[in-house]
Amino acid sequence: MAELNDPSAARERLAAAQAELLNALLANGPAPAGFDEQRLNVERRALLSKRRGIVRMLGPAVADELGDRFRPLFDAYAVEHPRRAGSRAREDAAAFAEWCRAAGELSANRKARWKFWQSN
Amino acid sequence: MAGIADLGVGIGWRSEIDLTVERLPGVDFVEVVAENLHIGHLPESVTLLLERGIPVLPHAVSLSLGGADPVDLNRVEHLGKVAEAVGAPMVSDHVCFVRAGGLDSGHLMPVPRTKDALDVLVANVKLAQENLPVPLALENVAALLEWPDGELSEGQFLAELVERTGCWLLVDVANLYANARNIGTDPERFLDEIPLERLAYVHVAGGEHHGDVYHDTHAHAVLPEVLGVLDELCSRVRPPGVLLERDDNYPSDTEIASELAAIRAVVDKHGPAQWLN
Repeated sequence: MAELNDPSAARERLAAAQAELLNALLANGPAPAGFDEQRLNVERRALLSKRRGIVRMLGPAVADELGDRFRPLFDAYAVEHPRRAGSRAREDAAAFAEWCRAAGELSANRKARWKFWQSN
Repeated sequence: MAGIADLGVGIGWRSEIDLTVERLPGVDFVEVVAENLHIGHLPESVTLLLERGIPVLPHAVSLSLGGADPVDLNRVEHLGKVAEAVGAPMVSDHVCFVRAGGLDSGHLMPVPRTKDALDVLVANVKLAQENLPVPLALENVAALLEWPDGELSEGQFLAELVERTGCWLLVDVANLYANARNIGTDPERFLDEIPLERLAYVHVAGGEHHGDVYHDTHAHAVLPEVLGVLDELCSRVRPPGVLLERDDNYPSDTEIASELAAIRAVVDKHGPAQWLN
């Protein structure tokens, strides 16, 4: 290939910038220079909302048991535990449930709320 | 130029709407999310569509080609294997990053439009292309925020990417609308700047406004404004294909059929192909 320029220096600069942005958006890190604060908040809320929706979908029984507490608890969990690269959404849902149990927010021995042979 | 075959109008295949996709009239092709498929265990519905001769195009969401790390070849290999399993003429992912600093954003994040970011993206795309059995198309994403110090417009950035890698473009007109609303991108300028002869196909999707922000949800109806951007695109070139993406809050078959018909009407309004392969 004609293009032999090594992008390693560019990779390093880009890695720092992207890591700083995700740290701000996912882990309450400081806002990176040059970004619009309001836009960062919009993005932060959008990412959190998407993640919350996926965890709700994957663990409806947990969300049901928590009721109105689901959202504030999930949001507190999420910022303490940003999703690690390589982790799966199901692991996120399981870790949230575990976090809630450890905090006494979920019953330790979760009773089945319905049986598959019952309708709803 | 070896172009892509005419695809027609299609819809994103999702397991939740598999029967709908099978029975809807006027589905000329489908996309599958590559990460959701397992080689050797294709969903019956996808096999059925393949038996009918419907092209199935794998669409990836996790390569993070715009990320600073070299592209993960395991993910590329999976995408390639899905392409071979469904006999796809092409695969796609996005111009975005999803992982950085050990974290996963869970979403398609925009890359800075700088020379650094372009150099890294080009290197990643070339590595992916070398390891894929079919051509790669790359899609513009919807951004809720703008990186500072952009050196190129979004259209210029994609044009450079195409020139340096020979990739194809998957233009999402809903994302163009979202960026126009949210960060002030000019869709017409974007369409002027990208090489339309490298257009693989087009995405259309629904969304909703929250205050002054447009959210590209893929869970609401397609807005007339988004069809307006499709109309603008079609006034310049007949797209080889247009595909509707719906990922949640699924409406009735009738509503999906009418969205597909509305898309087809916009494409057909502009008459026969202005160029074909």
